Amino acid sequence: MSSEGIQNGGMAARSKASVIPPHLQLVNVWKRFGSEPNRTVAVSNVDLSIAPGEFVTLIGPSGCGKSTLFNMIAGLLPPDSDGSILLSGQPQPDGALLGKIAFMPQKDLLFPWRTVLDNATLALEVEGMSRRKARAKAESLFPEFGLMGFERHYPHELSGGMRQRVALMRTFLFERDLILLDEPFGALDALTRAMMQRWLLDIWERHKRTVLFITHDIDEAIFLGDKVMVMTARPGTIKQTETIALPRPRDASVITSPDFMEIKRRLLASVEEESMKTFALSRDAADRKTMS
Amino acid sequence: MTMRGRILTSPPVTVLLVALAWLAVVPLFNIEPRYLPPLGDVYAEAVKLWPDLLAGFWRTFLETFIGFIAGALIGIGFGTAFAYVRLLERAFFPIFVALQSVPVIAFGAIVVIWFGNTILAKVVIALYLAFFPVAVNTLRGLSGVNPGRAALLSSFGASNWQSFLMLALPSAAPVIMTGLKLGISLSLAGAIVGEWFGDTVGLGVLLLQALYFEQVTRVWVLIIACGLLGALLYGALSLIERRYVWWQFD
Repeated sequence: MSSEGIQNGGMAARSKASVIPPHLQLVNVWKRFGSEPNRTVAVSNVDLSIAPGEFVTLIGPSGCGKSTLFNMIAGLLPPDSDGSILLSGQPQPDGALLGKIAFMPQKDLLFPWRTVLDNATLALEVEGMSRRKARAKAESLFPEFGLMGFERHYPHELSGGMRQRVALMRTFLFERDLILLDEPFGALDALTRAMMQRWLLDIWERHKRTVLFITHDIDEAIFLGDKVMVMTARPGTIKQTETIALPRPRDASVITSPDFMEIKRRLLASVEEESMKTFALSRDAADRKTMS
Repeated sequence: MTMRGRILTSPPVTVLLVALAWLAVVPLFNIEPRYLPPLGDVYAEAVKLWPDLLAGFWRTFLETFIGFIAGALIGIGFGTAFAYVRLLERAFFPIFVALQSVPVIAFGAIVVIWFGNTILAKVVIALYLAFFPVAVNTLRGLSGVNPGRAALLSSFGASNWQSFLMLALPSAAPVIMTGLKLGISLSLAGAIVGEWFGDTVGLGVLLLQALYFEQVTRVWVLIIACGLLGALLYGALSLIERRYVWWQFD
């Protein structure tokens, strides 16, 4: 170990300039709530790294701590002090991540009093860009997001799919290299969802941002990702990482290809095992409740 | 609602229907003028009283309006302070609640002693009554801001001030409007009661005089005038609400 370590160290030092650090890196990240004996561990010992420009999907049973993990990456929740989050190789102290990552929560959370256009420019306004400039910038994205002609509409006048696209546009206009998407298509019907997935890939291939995408849906995870990470039941940790070598650009036919099926079979077994654990855990809790 | 239903419930039509009923009911049941004078007499009395009525209407409007605006501003200020500084809320909110349980009549007496028979005394009473519902609703609206939206703004790196202006205030606006609509009706009541403590101009003054001389017809003129003033003030706020604060609180 020692001699090897020295050698590797020398190599690393020499090639340091050429090696690109992972865009996002989580090292031993934990999140515990409450204190003993009522402590809940939401996230335990998460290590992950995402390369620049990579599209990573994260899948796991409901209640496994995915959203807690996302909130920590977005800077909304500090990780416990025994772990750390690095952005482009730089460790991020508590609160430092706010304003550095484009975060799109599960719900569209559009502001009902703002028009579609002014919802899209929200982050730009926070950054201090003048309203006129922000609007001009957003307007150029409307055709690409399929929202042409809806600039002056209010959110309540839009369908679910359109609202989600507005929320995505708002996230894209907050020009950060890392985008966090928390089940953005979870509430959409199957057809709209499939359309949005292809559309998202299209946008991603053109804008080349790094994406971390949470989902419940195995098909979605494989179809979109360069890498699929499986989270365990609570306390959530990364159980398995599957590299998806399916060629890009991907279209709808990929889903029925033998390679896709093979990957899906492997992942399904893994995810279902975790779902069963969640189920067993909740049944145990219910049993305990009825017994006492 | 059907087209016909909408016409029947529109305010001018309602007023017209009430007037028609008034015209019909008085001769029909032979009602004594002491209880309800004929509408024609009320109109004639209004014409006779016109200059005083107009001056009184303007004066009471002014007292109500100034008192309401001041009360609303102070109410929004305190409501905001309460929403963001828990300590202030704990310290002062119970005092305000206790103050509210003092009937305005009792409070009015001391206000008149402090400010004399000036317009200021009425403004202060109108302010006092408008303040509380506005403060409470501002507090309620600002504390009920959707936490998801707040987190989203923080993730964009928004400062507290930006979050307040871009999220908290607009999201609380419908609730604050409810407080303002309560406040303006109370302000009018406060101004009229304030005038009873002594003044020479105002709808409240005319009302008190008519009461002393048992001028029933004049009392009815003043009831209609007060109702009209209240409806105008409330209607103006409703118009502002429909135009600028049309979204729902969630």
